[in-house]
Amino acid sequence: MKGIARSMLTTLSTFARKPVTRNYPDYHRPLPRTDRAFPLLLWDHEIDEPFCTGCHACERACPVECMTVLMKDNPNHKSVGGTSSRRKIIDKFWVDYARCMRCNICVEVCNFDAIAMNNTWTGHEMSVYDRKDLVVDLEQLLTQSRAKEIDEWVPIIGQTND
Amino acid sequence: MNADLFGLELNVWADAAIRLVMVVTLMTVVVMGYTYLERKIIARFNRRLGPTKTGPWGLLQAVADALKLVGKEDLRPRSADPWTFELGPYMIFIPIFMGFVIVPFIADFHIRLLDLGLIYFVAISSVSIVGWVMAGWGSDNRYAMLGALRSVAQGISYELPLVLSLLAVGMYAGSFNLGVIIAGQDVVPNIVWQPMAAFIFFIAALAELNRTPFDIPLGESEVVGGPFVEYSGIRWSMFQLGEYASIFIMSLVFSAVFLGGWMWPFGEDLGRWFQVLLSGIKAGGFFFVVVWIRISVPRMRIDQLMGYSWKVLLPLALVQVLVNGLVMVNGWHEVTLLISGLVGVAVLVTVTGRVVAAPSVRPGPARPLMPTPAIAQGEAVS
Amino acid sequence: MVTEPAYEFETQDILLNVGPQHPSTHGVFRMVLSVDGEVVRDLVPHIGYLHRGAEKLCETMDYRQGIGFMDRTEYLAAFNAELSYVMAVEALTDIEVPERAQWIRMILCELNRLSSHFMFMGAFGIDVGVFATPFIYAWIGREALIDLFEEVSGDRMMFAYFRPGGLAWDVPRNFKQRVNEALVVAEQGIKDFDTMLTENEIFVARTTGVGKISAAEAIDWGMSGPSIRASGVPLDVRRDEPYLMYDQVEWDVIVGENGDVYDRYYCRLLEMRESVKIIRQCLEKMPDTGPIMPEKMPRMLRTAPGEVYVRTEAPRGEYGVYLVSKGGNRPHRLKVRSACLANLQALRDMSVGQYVADAIVVLGSIDIVLSEVDR
Repeated sequence: MKGIARSMLTTLSTFARKPVTRNYPDYHRPLPRTDRAFPLLLWDHEIDEPFCTGCHACERACPVECMTVLMKDNPNHKSVGGTSSRRKIIDKFWVDYARCMRCNICVEVCNFDAIAMNNTWTGHEMSVYDRKDLVVDLEQLLTQSRAKEIDEWVPIIGQTND
Repeated sequence: MNADLFGLELNVWADAAIRLVMVVTLMTVVVMGYTYLERKIIARFNRRLGPTKTGPWGLLQAVADALKLVGKEDLRPRSADPWTFELGPYMIFIPIFMGFVIVPFIADFHIRLLDLGLIYFVAISSVSIVGWVMAGWGSDNRYAMLGALRSVAQGISYELPLVLSLLAVGMYAGSFNLGVIIAGQDVVPNIVWQPMAAFIFFIAALAELNRTPFDIPLGESEVVGGPFVEYSGIRWSMFQLGEYASIFIMSLVFSAVFLGGWMWPFGEDLGRWFQVLLSGIKAGGFFFVVVWIRISVPRMRIDQLMGYSWKVLLPLALVQVLVNGLVMVNGWHEVTLLISGLVGVAVLVTVTGRVVAAPSVRPGPARPLMPTPAIAQGEAVS
Repeated sequence: MVTEPAYEFETQDILLNVGPQHPSTHGVFRMVLSVDGEVVRDLVPHIGYLHRGAEKLCETMDYRQGIGFMDRTEYLAAFNAELSYVMAVEALTDIEVPERAQWIRMILCELNRLSSHFMFMGAFGIDVGVFATPFIYAWIGREALIDLFEEVSGDRMMFAYFRPGGLAWDVPRNFKQRVNEALVVAEQGIKDFDTMLTENEIFVARTTGVGKISAAEAIDWGMSGPSIRASGVPLDVRRDEPYLMYDQVEWDVIVGENGDVYDRYYCRLLEMRESVKIIRQCLEKMPDTGPIMPEKMPRMLRTAPGEVYVRTEAPRGEYGVYLVSKGGNRPHRLKVRSACLANLQALRDMSVGQYVADAIVVLGSIDIVLSEVDR
């Protein structure tokens, strides 16, 4: 009975300790900046267009083939009297969030730092009623960055974490 | 014939009806309170918060649970035995409810104080074992059957120490009437003179209530809820109601028989509400300890459980009856009872660890099934 | 002396189908028990419900893409799984991993061992029938570790953090301090388990002498990890073939005596203490700054033709990766040697002839992860 008494005292000691519950929908734990949810595209506020040039690097590197990328000639390019130095720009972009396995490879292979993993709670709370709604298009991918709702973190592979 | 209900002169039948309605209401409220309290207490033991969303501090959680259960579809497996399946929950619940007849809540409120009250209580409460078998058999599920058979074995084994410990107290108090037993404890509660009986009663009550460490009939990780496994909705809630109602009645009986009910330590002069408070505190304390044990102790195995009842509890309960008889026949001082009881508790505590932890005999050899291709391919499996 | 009765009393064994939907099969595992009353007469395990063909999938993608799939073969100890894979790739490409990266890998792997063993403790507590308490104790400890993993790697379970050559990116600046904080929580959790379960008479009664397996049998079944060490075989890849920096730290290989369920539990508990010890030493010896990847890494990793088998000590035992390359940027053949699968094979020997409740406890004690068994 000594051991049983000891285990009962152990549970009693936890009775006196503070609860550890984080009351989730009311309280959102602050996420670390490195947190990875789903990939999204970044917005170049200086020129007011996406960073993405539609180079297909991420599409080719994706292990689960969840991305579809189409590029077009940039209507805002300098050669046609615009302000941008990007000759090509993203036309259409779909990511199937239901397939994405959040491996971060698309971020690593991007030459223009145009894609980042969502590190906000919006990226985690993605429940929808229809599986089709998880295929997001270019508009949805850009919304958060365009509205400056995200402090994006694009890791430099093999180097820093700041 | 007239009876007296809080000073009102009433016809006996009307009086009985009113008392019954009051007890049913009280029981329902207490069951809801117990489910809420159990969740909160377990949550605190686990460093969680428990229900917080339903009402202030989650107080309406029990109501929400009840509504949800009522709204659920009442499923019945096609191969189930319809009558036994549907009547099983009621067979469990009704005997438990009938047990409330003899329980004195406060000095002047009870349904009927029978002279053989305790005998009636143990007799009627063991009837619900039949309900467990009905539920287990009727479900046509092997887990349910396994759970039901475990429940029968356990219920019958622990009935004996329970009865004997109550018998010991009955001998000491000179009556099986709970009112008389309580009235005899105005100065010293029975737990002082009968500590071993109280201990045995508590353990046997845990087993009768199917609470951890004796919850093998329900065993979530083994038989997946046992007899409950096929039930849903309102019928499943009958099991829950029965479980918590039986905890309530056990806590009341324990407080009445061993802790002096509403009487000890202040006597009966302090008024009705104070008695309610006293009964409530004692019953609540019993409940707290039951929950505390539930979250601290692993489940016993069936052989250990049966061995513990027959090898430890039953002999010691018999010894307690014998000692009580010796003391009463020879007219020795009551302190003899205290000393013998404490020695008994010490023996019980020592022996418990030994017997429970004793290596059990491994049952039987293997009967290999492997050459049978039907099973290897998973065909003959329900 | 038990005498046989003069008459034949014929009873029939019934089949009890435990799983794939059962609270204590730890995932989608199914075992068919043949029971005589409460006694298990035979047991037939069925696996494969979670088979996703991870090894074959890895053959269709390059080395970096495979890392994410290795996470998913062993989701409770993903760092250890990644480690075997990247070490196999490194062995084929002759990449020299910087020292600091090795220390960080080691710390993360040991932390992951802690979190995995916490998971075992919690699930095992439920298997033996304590209500929710051990599970919550385990999750409190594990939560601190997982928060740390998230800060380091970005994800809570599927880290994808180790890369051939080193690490994806450097750890946060306050890494050492955060590890120390997490260790305090973890040590409290270990202490709680120790005081709650280890000496509890009912727990001891439920576990001693149950599911015994001798050292010889355990070796024959190819068991590894704490499951075989509990049988008295001092087999630990970390000590036998030191990888990372395990030859520079001091710790003990925990070995049991009886090979029963209690020993398997207690070995894991003590092993958690050893892990804490290892991590403390690592934190002292780890350089604060330094590269975490070699200077020159090719943009697309290509291996030399050849084959390699790399094994590491994952929480459940030896997690080996057999990698065949015919040159190029993807494996020709990849085979994961799963510790759980080997350990699970001994289940029948351990459980037959015991009670139904024992079979559940035995299954819990070998701590299987079904995604690793089925892959």
